[in-house]
Amino acid sequence: MDIFSGLLLGLQTASTLTNFAYCFAGVLLGTAVGVLPGLGPIATISMLLPFTFGLPVDTALIMLAGIFYGSQYGGSTTAILMNLPGEASSVVTTLDGHEMAKQGKAGRALAAAAIGSFFAGTVGTMFIVIAAPILAGMALSFGPTEYFSLIVLGLVTSMVLTSGSLLTGFGMVLLGMLLGMIGTDVNSGAARYTFGSVDLLDGLNFVVIATGIFGLGDVLANLENEHSRAATIAKVSSLFPTREDWRRMTGPIIRGTGIGVLLGVLPGAGLLLSSFSAYALEKKLSMHPEQFGKGAIEGVAAPEAANNAAAQTAFIPMLTLGLPGTATMALMIGALVVQGVQPGPNILTEQPALFWGLVVSMWIGNLLLLILNLPLVGMWAKLISVPYKFLFPLICVFTAIGVYSIRNNAFDVYLMALFGVLGYVFRKAGAEPAPLILALILGPMAEEYLRRALLISHGNASVFFTSPVSIGTLLIALVLLVSILLPAFSKVRQAGLQEID
Amino acid sequence: MKVTQDVVQGGLFAAIGLAALLMALQYPLGTPGRMGPGFFPVAISALLALTGLAILARSRLNRSEVIRMARWLPIVTVTIAIVVFGFLLDKLGLPLAVMLLCVWAGTASISFELNWKAIAGAVAFSLVCGVLFVTLLGLPIPLVGSWLQALGAP
Repeated sequence: MDIFSGLLLGLQTASTLTNFAYCFAGVLLGTAVGVLPGLGPIATISMLLPFTFGLPVDTALIMLAGIFYGSQYGGSTTAILMNLPGEASSVVTTLDGHEMAKQGKAGRALAAAAIGSFFAGTVGTMFIVIAAPILAGMALSFGPTEYFSLIVLGLVTSMVLTSGSLLTGFGMVLLGMLLGMIGTDVNSGAARYTFGSVDLLDGLNFVVIATGIFGLGDVLANLENEHSRAATIAKVSSLFPTREDWRRMTGPIIRGTGIGVLLGVLPGAGLLLSSFSAYALEKKLSMHPEQFGKGAIEGVAAPEAANNAAAQTAFIPMLTLGLPGTATMALMIGALVVQGVQPGPNILTEQPALFWGLVVSMWIGNLLLLILNLPLVGMWAKLISVPYKFLFPLICVFTAIGVYSIRNNAFDVYLMALFGVLGYVFRKAGAEPAPLILALILGPMAEEYLRRALLISHGNASVFFTSPVSIGTLLIALVLLVSILLPAFSKVRQAGLQEID
Repeated sequence: MKVTQDVVQGGLFAAIGLAALLMALQYPLGTPGRMGPGFFPVAISALLALTGLAILARSRLNRSEVIRMARWLPIVTVTIAIVVFGFLLDKLGLPLAVMLLCVWAGTASISFELNWKAIAGAVAFSLVCGVLFVTLLGLPIPLVGSWLQALGAP
């Protein structure tokens, strides 16, 4: 199937009234929850998942895409208005965005973010349309060896790009893989780490763990320091960028998009890397680098465009290889699996309506965001200012109902409570949970591919170094690891990641 | 001894790693060419235990932050409230369970006051949840739970 008929099919799928309405609802809900302080995309998506359960697969996916974009954009809104980044990649947005807001230019900062995101989303979607079929074609020739190496690269990148020490990141990855082993071993049928519990035989549901660590864990951490949670919200005034703004942000948006599109495909933390590098690039290119950090519109437009472009192209490895690059993508895979869809190279040929419908609705979602957010920004600002004492019981209720409804099983609610406490402990211990989440979904895949690769080679590990794709991937992983151990780079990494803390 | 971030991380990793290793040793190991169900768990848990020990060794350098707990009660309250919610959801029905969780978890806040406003808010919210999740979204959670039905409620 060529691209145009694919897009046409996607348009047919996405533009039915029901699907369009659900996409709209997804964007609206995603933004509404995403703007709430402390709820990043992962917590938002996992809380809103039950809304998609009763729907047919294509509608559910389209709504999910809407929720995904809504939560991304909601996070930027909170970052700009409140100086509270919902996730690591919107940290950069706070630097200049909140500065602009303090100067009374909040509306223009939000507009720059929305326009940048929309442009980036459009280009990112085009990129998916072109690149995904190519990669899916390539992926068909990948064997277990190549997959295993790609997984290793993804895990290494996620370790390198988190705050905290490399050793901590390594520990979190291993812990995530260990948690992923809980349940019945697919090959031998042996029950591993189930402690005799029937509820654990199917393994830990990914969504339950993510909701616990990110949703509930955040509530617990916030409650401990509740009194210190006093943040001011900037007033939103004129929404329209001036002619000067347009002139200043066009270049940054285009360059940011380029960076984001390319880096988003990388496994690991492409989002974070892209927004940081887009910001750094604009600061280098700018004729007034001293304005950065003091409310330069370039410093909002470029990272937001990069962030959104990367968020878009991160779907490429997720959909075509079935390998998530980020913790959010891992959650999206979890959501797809709940719907009975297994992403992989065959999704294009076996379920074209699903794939193209998703691609087109991504673009529609971006468009809706642009239309929806600018007029409704006053409402979002009101939502942000809801006091925490009203907010957190509602978060508890939504997360609890959400995980219960996955299997209609109270056990999952207990499990979420347990992982909420664990998430809180991780926060206190300075261990970022994103690598754990990624490893939880990649770990079982890694084991399966390793087993198959070694089965084919009769236990000879040298296969990983004879396949060109595999050795290339492993070399990149090695370079990443070595580079962060070198003093020069580790300084840069620390400086870059420090701002997240 | 001061409890630093490294101590907690290292202790957590080492303890979980060791426990997992002991359990994994009981699963058939297999050979590299035919990995048994124990192969990967043994490798990963051993690595985790070693990582934990390395972080514990690093904690001797005293370079990581000391952990302070400001308040622990809200954490216990909210966690228990959620566990009880999970237990009672199908027994009380969704609206009542939601109301209970709302008010109970709400007590964890420093500015919580039990007055008619809090109750009214929780009642309104639980009704909205009932309509939203059960009636509109069709989640198979009862509106009136099994305990209430046993008592003869409609």
